[in-house]
Amino acid sequence: MSHDTLARPAKTRQPDGSPATRSPRRRRHWTRRANPVAGLGAFVWLVIVLIPIYAMLSASLTGADKALTGNPLKPPTDPTLDHYNTVLNSGFGHLLSNTAIVAVSVVGIVLALCIPLAYVAVRTRDRWSNAAFRLFLLGVAIPAQAVVVPLYLLIAKLDLYDTLLAVILPTAAFAMPVSVLVLVGTLRDVSEDLYEAMALDGASPLRVLFQLTIPLAKGGISTVVIFSALQAWNGFLFPLIFTQSDGPRVLTLGLFNYVSQFGVNIPAVLASVVLSGIPIFAVYLVARRALVGGLMGVGGK
Amino acid sequence: MTVTVEKTPAAAQKEQAHRTGRRAGRTGRPHAVWALPGVLFFTFFAVVPMALALYLSFTSWDGLGDPRPVGLDNWRKLLDDPRMTQSLWLTVVLTVASWAFQTVVALLLGVWAAGRQRNRAILSAVFFVPFLLSSTAIAILFYALLDPNFGIIQKDTLGSQSGAFLAIVFVGGWQFIPFHTLIYQGGARQIPEVLYQAAAIDGAGRYRQFFSITLPQLRHTITTSTVLMVVGSLTYFETVLILTKGGPGTDTAILPYLMYEAGFKTYDFGYASAIASFLVIAATGLSLVLVRLTGFGAMRSTREGM
Amino acid sequence: MESSRGQFTGTTAGRSTGSGAGGRPFSRRWFLGAGSASMLTAGLGAGLTACGSGGGSGGGDGKTLTAFVYGDDAVKVQQAGVDRFNKSAAAKKAGGTIKLQKVPGSDYSPKLRTAMGSPSAPDIFFNWGGGSIKPYEEADKLVDLTDIIEGDPVLKDGFLPSVLAAGDLGGRHYGIPMRGMQPVILFYNKSVFAEHKLQPPTTWDQLLDINAKLKKAKITPFALGGSDVWPELMWLEYLVDRIGGPEVFKRIQDGDAEGWGDPAVVRAAELVKELIDDGAFGSKFTSVSYVNGGAPAVFARGKAAMHLMGSWEYSTQLGKFPDFAKSNLGWAAFPTVEGGTGDVRNVVGNPTNYWSINARTKNKDLAVGFLKDCASKAYAQALIDNGDVPTTSNAAELLASSPNPEYAKFQYDMVQQAPAFTLSWDQALGDGLGTKMHTEIGKLFAGQSSPSEFVTACKGLK
Repeated sequence: MSHDTLARPAKTRQPDGSPATRSPRRRRHWTRRANPVAGLGAFVWLVIVLIPIYAMLSASLTGADKALTGNPLKPPTDPTLDHYNTVLNSGFGHLLSNTAIVAVSVVGIVLALCIPLAYVAVRTRDRWSNAAFRLFLLGVAIPAQAVVVPLYLLIAKLDLYDTLLAVILPTAAFAMPVSVLVLVGTLRDVSEDLYEAMALDGASPLRVLFQLTIPLAKGGISTVVIFSALQAWNGFLFPLIFTQSDGPRVLTLGLFNYVSQFGVNIPAVLASVVLSGIPIFAVYLVARRALVGGLMGVGGK
Repeated sequence: MTVTVEKTPAAAQKEQAHRTGRRAGRTGRPHAVWALPGVLFFTFFAVVPMALALYLSFTSWDGLGDPRPVGLDNWRKLLDDPRMTQSLWLTVVLTVASWAFQTVVALLLGVWAAGRQRNRAILSAVFFVPFLLSSTAIAILFYALLDPNFGIIQKDTLGSQSGAFLAIVFVGGWQFIPFHTLIYQGGARQIPEVLYQAAAIDGAGRYRQFFSITLPQLRHTITTSTVLMVVGSLTYFETVLILTKGGPGTDTAILPYLMYEAGFKTYDFGYASAIASFLVIAATGLSLVLVRLTGFGAMRSTREGM
Repeated sequence: MESSRGQFTGTTAGRSTGSGAGGRPFSRRWFLGAGSASMLTAGLGAGLTACGSGGGSGGGDGKTLTAFVYGDDAVKVQQAGVDRFNKSAAAKKAGGTIKLQKVPGSDYSPKLRTAMGSPSAPDIFFNWGGGSIKPYEEADKLVDLTDIIEGDPVLKDGFLPSVLAAGDLGGRHYGIPMRGMQPVILFYNKSVFAEHKLQPPTTWDQLLDINAKLKKAKITPFALGGSDVWPELMWLEYLVDRIGGPEVFKRIQDGDAEGWGDPAVVRAAELVKELIDDGAFGSKFTSVSYVNGGAPAVFARGKAAMHLMGSWEYSTQLGKFPDFAKSNLGWAAFPTVEGGTGDVRNVVGNPTNYWSINARTKNKDLAVGFLKDCASKAYAQALIDNGDVPTTSNAAELLASSPNPEYAKFQYDMVQQAPAFTLSWDQALGDGLGTKMHTEIGKLFAGQSSPSEFVTACKGLK
């Protein structure tokens, strides 16, 4: 993440201040031309992307009694869904719902805390709000891994060990810096004149926030939602250290345990990996534009 | 995007427009206290633990009793520990190798995918798929595919130093290149067409154009992506834990893994905290250097000056 | 962060950056704004703490006690034991039940440690005795069972005294044996041996000879789960014992790091290196795991001919490859090394595993009652049925009912007749030192350090 979020020259923005998540169709772009060399490179990468995915799908359909061959391209003879059954009967649904709870909670906390923060950082600009903003600017570079030991101490002292909250709270905290930067970057582009117009009408800050700022910051907000949901979805270290029983087990940790459980039943292990990808793949199919656009926002557009 | 502002009859406010030289001043501006819940929350779960990590790095603590102050012992050990030296070196090499691999591929793919052709759009959608799997899932996927006796590729990939190292670089790239491609794609689409037209008139070929227009124009995108990669490479911990457990021997024990091992395998939480503090300092320092070098400090949102 | 200061603190043309409060300070609206954020967080908190806490001594009322156990193939014996105990009169009398929590094997020690450091610690937990529980004893987290055992004939006379004592700390009992004996045994694949007309080796030279024949036949002589490291340790344990006797490690265990410099350790490390260079473990062993079933599968499928492993290998194979376990699994003692002083009857491994009780448990009677069940005939029989040899006093007469009486008797005699039973080095040294030693062993086997570098590194372990 970078401070770039804050410091993009405005020329890279749409004049109306809307985030550039939608492709600017105004200009006919130079890349209209074909490019055979790059096209070939892209094709090579396509193969690199698809082979592991194909191997995973095909292996996960292979019967347990059939040894996997050294040839990843061989389609499975008489495919079976047994392994998927095995995984689904090993508490997969429970893992999924725990992960969903974590993701939704993390997104909720991050939005509730970061929107007011960014709003103050952009609008108020006194000593305190600048200090608050700089705190998060510094926070961007802190790797979450680095504080896992003291966090464990904290979680244990708060008696949160082995609960979902032990995963949710730190995950949300570490999604905040980037979220604040993205939101500040978005809010800065809301025109001062609009604020002044509302202020002249005597609107309170709260009303301005809900009627003007949030509607205009939709792009940034969707970026933050996607980013923090992904953090929650992918988090592994916090669940690994802060939980241990089945109750609060999340998907990533469940997968990790399947590896011990299924051992060299590679097809079953791979079936669990496929299943873990299905929910988010469904989201991707339905809302590809929003997802991709939102992620572009993390790159500081 | 148009906004309908609901006009309410202006309530006669005592402090109407506290003027500070221009038009409407501080009315409608939220109080800084609005930021307090967020600041407190972040402080409690991120800043306090960091301070705690620093404090613990001066103690000896096994996770069960109470931390015992031992002065600079852990930091001295950090300097003397040959594993630390090896690990630091590994981390740097891994970060650089990952950066090179991911940047080159993502930059080329991103610029290519910035095109508006239908086939490029479809391929971009496919390229993105690996990013949908969690790091854990991807590490497990490759662990299974590379199982020396029962996987798909039954070679001893993870059992040799170079094999294990390259596997980690590759797996990291496989996962994150889609994301960085997206960033470059966004960056490339914002390069003004007029630059290319001018270059074409000057008779510059496609490769000249790439090196003299595309790359310089993308320098901020490169910085952004680089900062993300550098901080992100510290999170390869999961990949290492699942794929190689730091092995063979200690050949892939990068710093975050070394920290995990010191903390949660040998229960030397003091030493683990020293490594952690070092990581935080290094990551922050590195980001600052990157930002400095690329001249972010000088940049402002042009809106500022209006 | 000097570089970014300009962005916010820089006074821009015509805008003041004085700090003035907006509107009315602390209006009702403000409270709504700031409050809603914290309310949401708090509300979520209240809702979620209810979600699946592990319970344990932090939260429980003593009605349900949590028992952590190492989750492998043998865990079904403990599960059956818990189910039986929960229905028993003893459980009703103590007013509660036991809940078994299977912790995945590769993760067991760290998970136990982090749980023990938290308020939701288990009430009862599986361990290896000795060094593995020392930190808990030092932190006063264990119930001292010495007097309880002395005052209760069921416990006092229920187990082999040597095994009961093997997990002691400073002469005090903290654990009750709960699994079978676990000597390390040289297993071999009978069909591979028959096919190539081989006999299990009794001397090191014979072993090298067998290796040469197997390699000619394109079979890996030994399966080895090198990525877990502890299977590699077993080789050093036996070699050091056979070359220099049990005193060599005893010295190290008693805290004399110079003991690593003993010629027996150096020689053992050299023999290991020769084996590796000779291809005795194949070329992939550093990425093969025992825990995920890789090494047992290679062995069962005849890709490797032998496997040096703890006696649980039998129940592992029974769980994964029952046909192989029943008809093709052979076993033998580790061979002697020419010129060595160690007795061929000496054994290395773990005497057994133990249950220990957390000092903070809310229902000690229930926990002790549960531990007493391990001395019962039903429990011992369940271990026997799983192919294990219990460490109860009545084990000898149960051996005949084992699914594999021959194997059971072999194990029992091996342990009973051993002049010395050396506890697994990592368990003897405890987690901290044990893990650091693992690292050095991993490097030796991966070829990253020479035998002499290995010895030097081990001397420096703290």
